[in-house]
Amino acid sequence: MEVLKEEEEEKEAAKQEAAAETAAEPVAEPSERGEMMQPQEVGRKGTIMTQEMLRDLEKKLLGIEITVPEKPSITTKDTIDISKLPRSYQSNTPEEEHLLEVADNFSRQYSHLCPDRVPLFLYPLNECEVPKFVSTTIRPTLMPYPELYNWDGCAQFVADFLSMEPLPDPLKPPSHLYSSTMVLAYQKGNCFDFSTLLCSLLIGSGYDAYCVNGYGSQDLCLMDLTREPCPLTVKPKEALWEKEAEPPKKYAVRPPRDLTSRFEQEQERKKQEKIKAEEERRQREEEERLQEVDSTGTDPLHGLRVHSWVLVLSGKREVPESFFIDPLTARSYSPQDDHFLGIESLWNHKNYWINMQDCWNCCKDLIFDLGDPVKWEYLLLGTDKPRLSMVEEEDDTLNEDYDIENLGKEDEDKCFDMPHSWVEQLEISPEVFETRCPSGKKVIQYKKAKLEKWAPYLNSNGLVCRLSTYKDPECTNILEVKEWYQNREDTLELRHINKVTGLIVDYFKPGHPQALRVHSYTSMQPEMDRVMEFYKTVRVDGLIRREETPKTMTEYYEGRPDFLSYRLVNFGPRVKKITLNSTESNPRTVLKITERFFRNPAKPADEDVAERVFLIMEERIQLRYHCRENHITASKREFLRRTEVDSKGNKIIMTPDMCSSFEVEPAEHTKKLLYQYETMMQLKKEEKLCRHQAWESELEVLEILKLREEEEEAHTLTISIYDTKRNEKSKEYREARERVMHEEHLQQVEAQLDYLAPFLAQLPPGEKLTRWQAIHVKEECLSDFKQRLIDKANLIQARFEKETQELQKKQQWYQENQVTLTAEDEDLYLSYCSQAMFRIRILEQRLNRHKEMAPLKYMALEEKLCKDPRLAELLKSFV
Amino acid sequence: MNRLYNSLEPRVMDDDMLKLAVGEQGPQEEAGLLARQEGILFKDVLSLQLDFQNILRIDNLWQFENLRKLQLDNNVIERIEGLEKLTHLIWLDLSFNNIEAIEGLDTLVNLEDLSLFNNRISKIDSLDALVKLQVLSLGNNHIGNMMNIIYLRQFKNLRALSLSGNPIAEAEDYNMFILAYLPDLVYLDSRHIDDHMKGLAELKHQFSIDELKHRENLIQARLEDEQARQEELEEHKAAFVEHLNGPFLFDSMYAEDVEGNKLACLHGAGELLEAYKDKFVVICVNIFEYGLKQQEKRKVELDTFNECVQEAIQENQGQGKCRIAEFEEKHLLSLSAIRDESELSNLEKKIAECSKDISELFNTLMTLEMQLVEQLEETINMFERNIIDLVGLFIENVQSLMAQCRDLENHHHEKLLEIAISALEKTVKGEMEEELPDEVRAVSGLFVDKDTVVNAVGSSHDIHLLKIDNREDELVTRVNSWCTHLVDKIHKDEIMRNRRRVKEINQYVDHMQNELDNLECSDIID
Repeated sequence: MEVLKEEEEEKEAAKQEAAAETAAEPVAEPSERGEMMQPQEVGRKGTIMTQEMLRDLEKKLLGIEITVPEKPSITTKDTIDISKLPRSYQSNTPEEEHLLEVADNFSRQYSHLCPDRVPLFLYPLNECEVPKFVSTTIRPTLMPYPELYNWDGCAQFVADFLSMEPLPDPLKPPSHLYSSTMVLAYQKGNCFDFSTLLCSLLIGSGYDAYCVNGYGSQDLCLMDLTREPCPLTVKPKEALWEKEAEPPKKYAVRPPRDLTSRFEQEQERKKQEKIKAEEERRQREEEERLQEVDSTGTDPLHGLRVHSWVLVLSGKREVPESFFIDPLTARSYSPQDDHFLGIESLWNHKNYWINMQDCWNCCKDLIFDLGDPVKWEYLLLGTDKPRLSMVEEEDDTLNEDYDIENLGKEDEDKCFDMPHSWVEQLEISPEVFETRCPSGKKVIQYKKAKLEKWAPYLNSNGLVCRLSTYKDPECTNILEVKEWYQNREDTLELRHINKVTGLIVDYFKPGHPQALRVHSYTSMQPEMDRVMEFYKTVRVDGLIRREETPKTMTEYYEGRPDFLSYRLVNFGPRVKKITLNSTESNPRTVLKITERFFRNPAKPADEDVAERVFLIMEERIQLRYHCRENHITASKREFLRRTEVDSKGNKIIMTPDMCSSFEVEPAEHTKKLLYQYETMMQLKKEEKLCRHQAWESELEVLEILKLREEEEEAHTLTISIYDTKRNEKSKEYREARERVMHEEHLQQVEAQLDYLAPFLAQLPPGEKLTRWQAIHVKEECLSDFKQRLIDKANLIQARFEKETQELQKKQQWYQENQVTLTAEDEDLYLSYCSQAMFRIRILEQRLNRHKEMAPLKYMALEEKLCKDPRLAELLKSFV
Repeated sequence: MNRLYNSLEPRVMDDDMLKLAVGEQGPQEEAGLLARQEGILFKDVLSLQLDFQNILRIDNLWQFENLRKLQLDNNVIERIEGLEKLTHLIWLDLSFNNIEAIEGLDTLVNLEDLSLFNNRISKIDSLDALVKLQVLSLGNNHIGNMMNIIYLRQFKNLRALSLSGNPIAEAEDYNMFILAYLPDLVYLDSRHIDDHMKGLAELKHQFSIDELKHRENLIQARLEDEQARQEELEEHKAAFVEHLNGPFLFDSMYAEDVEGNKLACLHGAGELLEAYKDKFVVICVNIFEYGLKQQEKRKVELDTFNECVQEAIQENQGQGKCRIAEFEEKHLLSLSAIRDESELSNLEKKIAECSKDISELFNTLMTLEMQLVEQLEETINMFERNIIDLVGLFIENVQSLMAQCRDLENHHHEKLLEIAISALEKTVKGEMEEELPDEVRAVSGLFVDKDTVVNAVGSSHDIHLLKIDNREDELVTRVNSWCTHLVDKIHKDEIMRNRRRVKEINQYVDHMQNELDNLECSDIID
């Protein structure tokens, strides 16, 4: 191992030398620069490795391969039906051809000038095996979802929506780059697909975003978050509220003189500091140790792994600073992050830039000024990126640019614009958007934590997210589980389960039938430790919190008209009752009730009780009053009622020793026995009330627990009335309305029936009607209508007669066989009779109505015909 | 009704009658026993019923200070009297008596329900003090004039009124009239008023009511105006510069100045006077504005001081409360320990410990209090210095402004003298006669010789200077006395506070000690 270390050191030295060289000569030969373009670990290839190391490496590599299962990727052609794809996918337009030529030329020149750098990722094949320029694969799209308007929403969507496939060769960019429509359809892709899609969305929503082809760390490339703490577990740093030192008031009282020894304080402080330093040291050591453990598995391919991510430059959409987004995990990183080891090139939908800066120090020193041709070599001229104005510096480089550029291109090429994207419009249907993850489920492994996500309504209990936190890095010992729910009818929002203590905390959104806000418990059994918090504005009694232990129940109130703020009930053991009546509830005995009140401004302090304690077992009642303003002592009163009967057997009503009191300002009337007696009676009454309330509270707890259990059991989900797909009711309603609309339409059509049409059709077409004809047509129409009315009347009459005859027959039959009939038959007969009678009556009514209506209808038709525009003229003159 | 009792001897409201009534109407059963044991003080009684007693004169009720409800119905009372002390009264029933006029209710400001049913009243008045009146029963009386209703408009809380059985109730317009003029009424003659009727009534009497309302509004507006002016004046008075924001002082200078006014008619003197007045008023306004500013400053100073003192006191109180709470917690435990203790030696030890705790508490609390006293004293002294400085500065500046006034006056005086003498000369020469207008001719009595003229001008000047001096003196005295009062009051308040606190602490500690001693005694007896 010694040898290895030495080698490492050598390598480091060499690297630094090289770095110094590059720093000294900014305009170095491209070839030399290209060498340095590869991140530092390139040099490792050349180092001599021991046999052991090689084996070790081999093992590791094998291990890596195991983690990447050989799945048939979507690259296999038979899964894609190319023929159905649009034409732009299958062929290139002349502009694209031209662009490809340009790119090819550019690439050739580039490889000539920088032979040490890897070939450019310029025109990979698409799903139809057609080479397409990478920039044209970006299709800027603004999605119609408000969640996709900001970069974090977009990134999260892309990360959730697609499942990651590793690159076929982790050291090379892929040979194929599919259209985003394809990627969206299959919900699969490698990092290049991810970043292309994300870039399309970001540019569409106005960001200055670029796809980056570069090198990333192993964790980044394999989407391995096991070394990252879960963002949900990281507590947001509490903003330190630095209290502004108030300006010293003019009349501030001087603090009392401090009589403690300075020396002692000093000593004490020193001691504290020492302990603190010791602790810090220990902590640091611990951290170091942990880091060592973490960093044991260094990656042999470090710096060679190809990755693609998205760069968002500052400027547009109020982005204050440029940053990277890893599309696989949707996390944003600063360009200084250690995970990003180098950039080869980047592109957006308009242009393509090659990084000409050195990446020895990862991306930390890169300057993202794409207008600077020294640092970024562009492919197309005439894009709208601002160019540097410093002409003197650029002189040589400009010439170089021209050299490169002008070799194959004519002048008019300068204004050659990137052709329009060949990719079809990106579309995401609402259902798919809601389902999000492929098949609606996604699992992410973080450091000591596992995050599972589900689409809403996928789980029948409304679970959408679960975060399990583990004690150890191997994730075997669960510390706590957090479960997020959505659309629950019981408004459960979050359940927090602490696996160590067994404590479960449920958080509810407003709207629970019992106004529950938080419910923390270890078991659903009553009379155990539990805390319930309520939405106080909903509860009539102003309860905000109820804490329970096996022996006590504490309730906190707010905003009550009687100013009650706190009630503590101490329970004793249950009295065993020997009753057969088991349905009767057997409440625990109440030992003590303590109640506290807020100050009631309407009462004087001496009469406003602050705390009252009912010691029920001792028959003692203690009162403590509120403190008067400008006082520090409060009045107290204690009532004791033990002896009901005096030595002579007389009933004692009230004696002075039954009430002891301390009064801040002794008042006259309170000394009176009558007053004390009345107060005591009042208190007795209230004691009873309190006990009743305590009992009611217990009942309420039982009720809530029962309700909660039922809700848990049923776990019904609510469906928004705007959710047209899921909401059955609204669907039904909509369908019903459509049906009604349809019927109305039919009726309208009917109303527009032309009575005259059949009669007019008999006449020769195209000729004007003569008056005689008009009269004739009218007569005919009316007589026809009359005939129909008569027919109808006859029909009803016939039916009526038929029914009557049948009934008569049946009656006859009944009368004949009455004696032999069974009860059933008789019932049958009777029901038949009643039905028949009903039918007959209806028919009779209809007939009558028809008789009434027929002349009217006839008249109406006649009038209508008279007013008919085709006949009106002719008939008028006739009349 | 009362005819029935007329035959009986009228009775006097004496102590026995009252005692009997109180005893009968007081607490019953067990509480009643206790009450009888102890006796009931008249001032603790909240409600008293004295009906069908054939009382002729209301008397001896002055002891019932806290009475809320008094029933004196069905007696033969002829005058309302002897109720002045019952200021807490809410409910008063004087129905079925022989009262002829409403009187003697001026102190009953809390009265909400008044019944004068079946009396001989013919006019509604003398109820102005009863601003909270809600229910008024005046049925079966002799009220005959509808205009009495308008008197009731001033009671904004009046909701129920009964007037049936009066001559006015027979008028056909009776209902409508009342509904129109008393729109807030809910019950009339024990009947709920429906909105429809109210609307009709309003329509019917709309014009007269609108006129009435307009008049009432005018009066109200005038009152408000007056009040606002009064308030402004008060504010200015507090700043000691009232009537300085205009020519008041100047006008007052010339109000009693006969000669000055005469002289103003002289040729050239008028313009001079105008110019003088303008300048003078400018200075007065300066003083006024400066005074208001200074007042603001003083107020801010006082507020900061009060705030700071309150803060210090609050903090100290908080500490005291904390100490007491701690002590009480401990004390309760030790008390119960003492109760449970049976060994005598241990008991004594514990009691000793306990009393030591008490004295320790006493010491702590007293130390806290002493600390506060020291702190406050220092602060108060500082404030005193500052406020005296402020006042001093104010006086100084006002005096310098006043001096400007005096200079102006002197200047004016000289100019006027010149004019007067030249006028005299002209008169002497006889040139004046034709020049002088008629009204000045009256003045011409002055222009006899030089001395008269000079004297006249001088006396006018003296009056002016006197006025200015008086105003200045008034301002200075008042501001000084205000300052002294303020400082005195602060000192006195602080002393009072200290005494109260010391008393409180002593009382508390004594109580604790007593309690302990009692426990001891009872234990020893046991």
